[in-house]
Amino acid sequence: MAEALTPHQAHEEAANERATFGFWVYLMTDLLMFSILFAAYSVLHGNTLGGASPRQLFSQPVALTETLILLTSSFTNGIGMYRAREGKKNQMLVWFGITFLLGLSFLGLEIREFTKFFHEGHTLTSSGFLSSFFVLVGTHGLHITSGLLWMGTTLGFVMARGLTPGLVRKLSLLSLFWHFLDIVWIFIFTIVYLQALV
Amino acid sequence: MKREHGTIRNYVIGFVLSLVFTLIPYFLAVNHLLIGLVLFITILAFALVQAGIQLLFFLHLGRERNPRWQSGFLMVTAGGLFVVTVGTSWILYHLHTNMAPTAEALQLAQDEGIAQIGDKKTGACDETYTVHTVTIKQNIANPSHIDARLCDEIVFTNDDNTSRDIAFGAPNKPVPYGGVNDLPLAKGQSQMLILNQTGTQSFHDHLNDEATGDFAVTP
Repeated sequence: MAEALTPHQAHEEAANERATFGFWVYLMTDLLMFSILFAAYSVLHGNTLGGASPRQLFSQPVALTETLILLTSSFTNGIGMYRAREGKKNQMLVWFGITFLLGLSFLGLEIREFTKFFHEGHTLTSSGFLSSFFVLVGTHGLHITSGLLWMGTTLGFVMARGLTPGLVRKLSLLSLFWHFLDIVWIFIFTIVYLQALV
Repeated sequence: MKREHGTIRNYVIGFVLSLVFTLIPYFLAVNHLLIGLVLFITILAFALVQAGIQLLFFLHLGRERNPRWQSGFLMVTAGGLFVVTVGTSWILYHLHTNMAPTAEALQLAQDEGIAQIGDKKTGACDETYTVHTVTIKQNIANPSHIDARLCDEIVFTNDDNTSRDIAFGAPNKPVPYGGVNDLPLAKGQSQMLILNQTGTQSFHDHLNDEATGDFAVTP
């Protein structure tokens, strides 16, 4: 497997591994933060203060749509990353472009769901259930938002400068982040939206 | 292409498996093929397996070079995650089961005919005396103040075209009154409240934070 690396390639390789591990440490601490929000939701989701319960409030088909959109975006992101490593700039831009649009539509659906709840009078302060719901799902939504900003700017740089080693490294970290957010969403889909039917 | 980065084939396998592991629990839950704890454990198991699938096929875990710092750190994090989620649920479940909240204690006192708990006068009213009425119209409770005796009753009527939920205490910090958490009032509906607790108590419509008022109950 190991081909002889030039000193320059070896240097790049070491930089990649350092960056990847550093970012991995961030992801794991972020995961711990999400676990605390999940624990809060698990404890509080029955405390509705006479208001709407998870079963009355959530639409599972909408949640499934969001899940499929995010899962597909995680897949297209992987293909885009593969193309980026091959140095195929145009193909990479197409796949990451699709990922970006899917991420945007996911965010749109989430914002629509939140505004619907707010208009119906279900807000952050309505009950313990709704506080923990909005904080858990909203935190994930903020991560998606920052991921989209990051993706947008990085794609802009790729268009301007081409696939430099530094930008490929950034894209690989962004991919880790995006796959990670999809894994967190699996649990939101399960614990928040499907558990409502238990 | 280096081994640790995966292939297109890998991504396709991961994607298809993830789809399967999303759709199965969805149909199990939506069509009520399983219920209760069995359903919960099943959908959680599907989520955990799907997370494993994505870690392997999308994040290429376990393909890094030795020493495997990423996998190791993930294991440590998984330990922390387990303690936080399972530990929290376990502790709070027992706390919840073993401590009776005030509302339930007052309800129990009412059922058992106990006259007083702590400094709160409560307990069953054998019969009610005067009936007071509060009518909510155009978002205003009329009258907004009532002087009553213990074991009188108040009938709340909602004359507005919206649902109401009468709660007691401050709007941002509702408290139960005499074992009653709230009185849901659909439009046009009436509900009776037995005044089995002395003191002055404010009330409001908890859905719209309006129609406020209070009643003073003397022994």
